[in-house]
Amino acid sequence: MSIVLENIVKRYGKQLIVDRVSLEVGDGEFFVLLGASGSGKSTILRMIAGLARPNSGRILLHGRDVTPLSPQQRDTGLVFQNYSIFHHMSVAENIAFGLKIRKKPKGERKAKTEQLLDMVGLGGLGSRLPSQLSGGQQQRVAVARALAYEPNVLLLDEPFGALDVKIRTQLRRSLKEIQKNLGVATILVTHDQEEAFELADRIGVLERGRLLEVGVGEELYARPKTSFVATFLGAGTVLVGSAASGKAHFNTLSIPVPDDIPREEGSRVQLLIRPEHVVLSKEEPPEGAHVLGRGTVIEQNFNGASRRATLRMPHMPATRQIAPPIPFGEEGFLVDAIVPADEPLTDKEVWVSLRNWHILGPPVPRLMVFDTASGSTGPLKLARHLMESLEATATLLAVADGPEAAESLRERHKRRKDDADLSEAEFRIRYGDAAEQIISEQAETPYEMVILAPAQKRFSIPDARADGPGSLVGKVLQQSQVPVLIAKGERDRLSKVLICTAAGEPGKSDVRVGGRLARRLKASVTLLYVNAQSDLPGPLARVHLERAAGTLRSLDVDGEIRYRQAETAAAGILAEASEGAFDLIVVGGHGPGSRKLFKLNDVTRQVVAGSNCPVLVVPPDAT
Amino acid sequence: MSKQRHSASEWALIAVVVLYAAVLLVGPLLSILWGALSAGTGPFLREVTSANALNALKLTLLLGAGATVINTVFGVCIAWVLVRDNFRGRQFINGLVDLPFAVSPVIAGLMLVLLFGRDGWFTWIADALGIKVVFALPGMLLATTFVSLPFVVREVMPVLKQIGTEQENAAYTMGASPWQAFWHVTLPSIRWGLLYGVSLTLARAVGEFGAVLIVSGGVSGLTETSTLFIFRSLDDRNYVGAYAMAMVLAMISFTILMLMEFFKKRAGTRQ
Repeated sequence: MSIVLENIVKRYGKQLIVDRVSLEVGDGEFFVLLGASGSGKSTILRMIAGLARPNSGRILLHGRDVTPLSPQQRDTGLVFQNYSIFHHMSVAENIAFGLKIRKKPKGERKAKTEQLLDMVGLGGLGSRLPSQLSGGQQQRVAVARALAYEPNVLLLDEPFGALDVKIRTQLRRSLKEIQKNLGVATILVTHDQEEAFELADRIGVLERGRLLEVGVGEELYARPKTSFVATFLGAGTVLVGSAASGKAHFNTLSIPVPDDIPREEGSRVQLLIRPEHVVLSKEEPPEGAHVLGRGTVIEQNFNGASRRATLRMPHMPATRQIAPPIPFGEEGFLVDAIVPADEPLTDKEVWVSLRNWHILGPPVPRLMVFDTASGSTGPLKLARHLMESLEATATLLAVADGPEAAESLRERHKRRKDDADLSEAEFRIRYGDAAEQIISEQAETPYEMVILAPAQKRFSIPDARADGPGSLVGKVLQQSQVPVLIAKGERDRLSKVLICTAAGEPGKSDVRVGGRLARRLKASVTLLYVNAQSDLPGPLARVHLERAAGTLRSLDVDGEIRYRQAETAAAGILAEASEGAFDLIVVGGHGPGSRKLFKLNDVTRQVVAGSNCPVLVVPPDAT
Repeated sequence: MSKQRHSASEWALIAVVVLYAAVLLVGPLLSILWGALSAGTGPFLREVTSANALNALKLTLLLGAGATVINTVFGVCIAWVLVRDNFRGRQFINGLVDLPFAVSPVIAGLMLVLLFGRDGWFTWIADALGIKVVFALPGMLLATTFVSLPFVVREVMPVLKQIGTEQENAAYTMGASPWQAFWHVTLPSIRWGLLYGVSLTLARAVGEFGAVLIVSGGVSGLTETSTLFIFRSLDDRNYVGAYAMAMVLAMISFTILMLMEFFKKRAGTRQ
């Protein structure tokens, strides 16, 4: 193995940039790390080169542990994104630099330089200065320079990012050839999928510092394991249906489920449909075809060689689209298809069937449960109810300030876990300030929801006078990126959900998240709109409520709409909640970083403070 | 290409600017020339080649070279640390570098006398080492170095910042030690800015007066620089001597100025 990374972790201050990445690159292999900006890919490369130190983990090059070694000692060749060739030296001097440092004799340097100039296609340009070269030529110099001293490992950091498309394609081909000829283990880092598919023997998909999947390009594209990789690599729609008698059902469409995917009765199955899998026809497809339904053509975008058609499919019971996120108000789902450019669709409505597809592993959402001071089993029982309804795993988080406190917390939690029958829940301890650790935990592992049980004695995000911003609930609400369920009261079952929505932005994610949750809980949903003037909504509000109801219908939820008049929004919500004996109130939060929560008359805060049933606070960007 | 036609008011403005430059810059130079040659070329040459004058010139150039070398070496080090490293007190040190601009040279000289003169704080160090600081060469060198300190630092810092660390990083991965990377990669990249800073330092050092006046004691032939020579000559009513030395100094400064302009242009055209 030429390059081995073992559980590399890198933090800058409090931010986790690289999260326990492990991978192996074989001799002569061309490995591509694919990820969006900020996914940590450049940092990983720099750590391999020795320009950054990992906080933990090991790096081995050709079996040698290089983690403590300086960049000079690692014998790697690194090509940077912005060339970084030496401006004051000629092309030949640049290329020979590594050899000069290694004190190779002049004759040898000259010969090698000539050889490399020819290899990268710059023969005869040795005496030019970098300022006299084009971008593509400069990058060729950078590659030649990195290869001159025959390093064991070649590292490239988005080398073609700053170049024109045509040059990029040329250089890619050259690079692939050179790499094949030299047989040097190579890692290239990029955000360009095309580049990854073209160059890589294997691709690793990186997201937010985590290595999600590794595999040959074609495998990852055709058979991704998670919906993130499915929609990141190429385009597509992911639908969720349910399994019955060994097949996955999406309304009238039934797809056989491969053996390695769990398919107990009623379990959820994810289906990936790529544009090239979709077949459109004017007439009804023949018997035996996998028909999705009839769709309406809403857009056709010209793409050079083909056209990308977007079709709206009507809502199908027991079928939902989970990626990409459906626009607010849509009841059905959207599917893309590829149509030859010279044969645009002329009909408005067409039959949509599938020529191919891919079944993904089931999604397993994860819940974080934090309850150290509520003194009751209510919140844990609620967590259990949610675990079952959502088919989720749970992590019980405890934050201690030291190892002794940790031990007693561990004991206490074991007992409570057994009481609440939460034995499958994982227990995790972190050290430090409770709110901070909850947020850090969220940043390191993807959670669907955080369940917070506030301290029994003094529950508050009350007035700004009291400990408002300082209270645990306040701090977590202020910074959480995922919905937070404040577990109040002793309920262990949620069957009536009240979604409170106001016209405008904050309303959309509440409806989506609240509706989805209600469906899994098999709870009834009421959409509430509170107005100060009258109990009849204005035109804007009416439109919003209709769209909200549409979104709920797309989630297979029938929502009742209620209007109410009250002095303040919070008063109205609380009154409705107690009158209707609701089990859960869903309100919108303000999102991380906002200080609006602590304004005296903030609705979210008042509802959380005044409610005696659980409240789910949904941040505006939650999907 | 059509020639620009200027209106009358534009001509008037141009005339004002030219007159201003002439009076302020050309006038003094011409008057020095006049004064130097007023008694004829014979006395001029005699004054210029007298033992005191030659010693003064030698001392000026020695101090100038010494201060420049010290400030180049340490200036680059200071610039490096201020740009590349992050440490507590960095802003403070950064401000401290500008101290010679803020402080009058006379005060600088006085400060040295206080430190190294009779009952000075550091006099015991000098005595232990067996060297005399004030009223001797070491003190004058310190004074000249102090007043010309900021130039190299101030010229090198922005260039260092601009070239960034990627080229050095590239050198490291290719096997170059930090010193090799500095010598082969960093230094050539900053050379024009550095040379400009060096020429500024030299110009300032050569022209220094106030600080060395206080620190040196002005013993002619021993601790008298060219500027001090001119000062004493005026005092002694040796006008030809003063003007002659002034002219030589002006020519030296002019040469340095040409060098400065050359380096500045090269520093500016590098991107």
